Amino acid sequence: MSSRYLARRIFQALITIAFILVLNFFLFRLMPGSPERVLTRNPNISAETKQQLKAKWGLDKPLFPDQFIAYIESTAQGDLGLSFKYRGEPVTEVLGDRIWPTIILFGLGELIAVVVGLGLGAYAGWKRGGSVDYMGNGLSLVLYSTPYFVIGMFLLVIFATALGWFPTNGMLTVGATYDSFWERLQDFGSHLFLPLVTVSIGLIGLYSILMRSSIIETLAEDYVQTARAKGLKDSRVLRDHALPNALLPAVTIVALQLGYVIAGAITAEIVFNWPGLGTLTVDALAARDYPVLQGIFLLLAISVVLANLAADILYGRLDPRVRV
Amino acid sequence: MTTHAATGDELRTSRLQLRLRNLRSFMGRFLKRRDGVLGLAILVVFTTLAIAPQLFVGPLETAVTASGMRLEPPSAAHILGTDELGRDMLNLTVHGTRTSMAIGLLATAITVVIGAVLGIVSGFIGGATDTVLMRVSDFFLVLPTFVLALILAPVLLDVIGANAELFGMRMTLVVIVIVIGITSWAGTARIIRSQTLSLRERAFVDRARVIGSNGRQVMSRHIMPNVMSLVVANAVLTFAGAVLTETTLSFIGLGDPFQPSWGQILNAAQGAGAPGLGAWWYLAPPAVGIILVVLAFTLLGNALDDVLNPKLRVRQ
Repeated sequence: MSSRYLARRIFQALITIAFILVLNFFLFRLMPGSPERVLTRNPNISAETKQQLKAKWGLDKPLFPDQFIAYIESTAQGDLGLSFKYRGEPVTEVLGDRIWPTIILFGLGELIAVVVGLGLGAYAGWKRGGSVDYMGNGLSLVLYSTPYFVIGMFLLVIFATALGWFPTNGMLTVGATYDSFWERLQDFGSHLFLPLVTVSIGLIGLYSILMRSSIIETLAEDYVQTARAKGLKDSRVLRDHALPNALLPAVTIVALQLGYVIAGAITAEIVFNWPGLGTLTVDALAARDYPVLQGIFLLLAISVVLANLAADILYGRLDPRVRV
Repeated sequence: MTTHAATGDELRTSRLQLRLRNLRSFMGRFLKRRDGVLGLAILVVFTTLAIAPQLFVGPLETAVTASGMRLEPPSAAHILGTDELGRDMLNLTVHGTRTSMAIGLLATAITVVIGAVLGIVSGFIGGATDTVLMRVSDFFLVLPTFVLALILAPVLLDVIGANAELFGMRMTLVVIVIVIGITSWAGTARIIRSQTLSLRERAFVDRARVIGSNGRQVMSRHIMPNVMSLVVANAVLTFAGAVLTETTLSFIGLGDPFQPSWGQILNAAQGAGAPGLGAWWYLAPPAVGIILVVLAFTLLGNALDDVLNPKLRVRQ
């Protein structure tokens, strides 16, 4: 991969992150409850006190560049401000507590969905027009049209409420004591199961549609025709010629879609009261806890940009045609 | 003079004939797509419900005018059951159709207008304008609508206030429309731009230039009509995305309880603990509505895209 290609991608990602920071900075100044508005609204504060307070918080300096630079500095040091709701806890700590449940849930879900979804899509595309393709395509389209939390609600009604196979909410049974690590893991697993199935099912629809069209496109390529003309068996044509080439764009699009799917997938947490970023978002929205909301935005936005960058680099590395 | 007028008339007639033939060939190709026709049929049903919900189920029930007991399962009196306030689920869902479809329609309109205008301008003018517009679109393309909406919607709501109304629409919903509109135009702009780039080099644009048309005239008279079909196909797919985004935003608590959309109904169901109480009838109607409408738009959009998009169209 040429270093110019790499440098350009990294530069673009940095520009986008700069945009994100600018947006985050100015929105914070625009919204109600920002320090300047609160200060100027109180009629009992004398002009001098107001001036002193402004100087203390750095609000006497111009918004740009002084305040902006101060904001960038503190953000770079991991200081995202204090939460309104969680008794003034630093936002970074609030996010830190909630990020692991999301990473576990989403990471495992993504893994299952990539394997199953790409497999299903490849099979459906290979047997194009067959019964599996017909059913699979229809099912994928329906799943693709269903919000994650709707899938979750129905799984919960059927498997937790009606059948009672799984707990209805949380990550661990409240107030439970465990004799061993194994027991704790079991409890965790039974809580994780339904949210995990929800996220996986939601993603499988998208991924199998992607893989199906990718393999259909690849099968029309000349080199597949050549492989067939050489008299290779169908299974070898698929395994050695079609699959590796079809996987490339599919995997890249999976990486590109990461941002979109994580945004949708965190809504599944709400249904199961899974203590991750999704439930945090809802609580923060309800309490208008802006510092936390901004923290979530920054976290999601920057991970999306990085996922995109990774996808670009991956694609450039794997596909020689991009390198030129 | 008479010969001149005659040729003018002839020209007009032949142009009309050409239009008719194009339309007929489009209809012929579209009707062969059974998925597209199915999508269209579903949408006709939901659009009818959305235009006049009160004709089918009467006015929207409130906590005061609720016609049933709380969380009644489906029965002869309430064929889809009731919610936790005793409101009829059929009534709520049909009225929800209107809210969901209206938000989807308006958000799509904003998205497509911004996308088409910026796409044409960017592709036609080129140069620094193009570079700047495309960098901005990069930003919106990379960031998911949902993530941007997460901070834009509450800030806008607090600045504008939730209780005002605009054309009978509550401000909460107007904010959702605006937020979806301004965050999802980038994809449309990209598609229109690339089509404009190829149209710009065509002979009829040069001819228009030669007879003295300025840039704005060329863009509105010559480029725009030629990207219109692409805009339509794209708008239909955008609509599907807008309905899904609205549903998600309402579900996480940015909707309006006084003008409930399907997402808002599901938010209320979650708040009332309906999934844990096994009240499936509270969840199923809005969920089926969302799935059917998004599916229908996707089917119709894909079919239109295949028929209208010059790049995908198979030569016959």
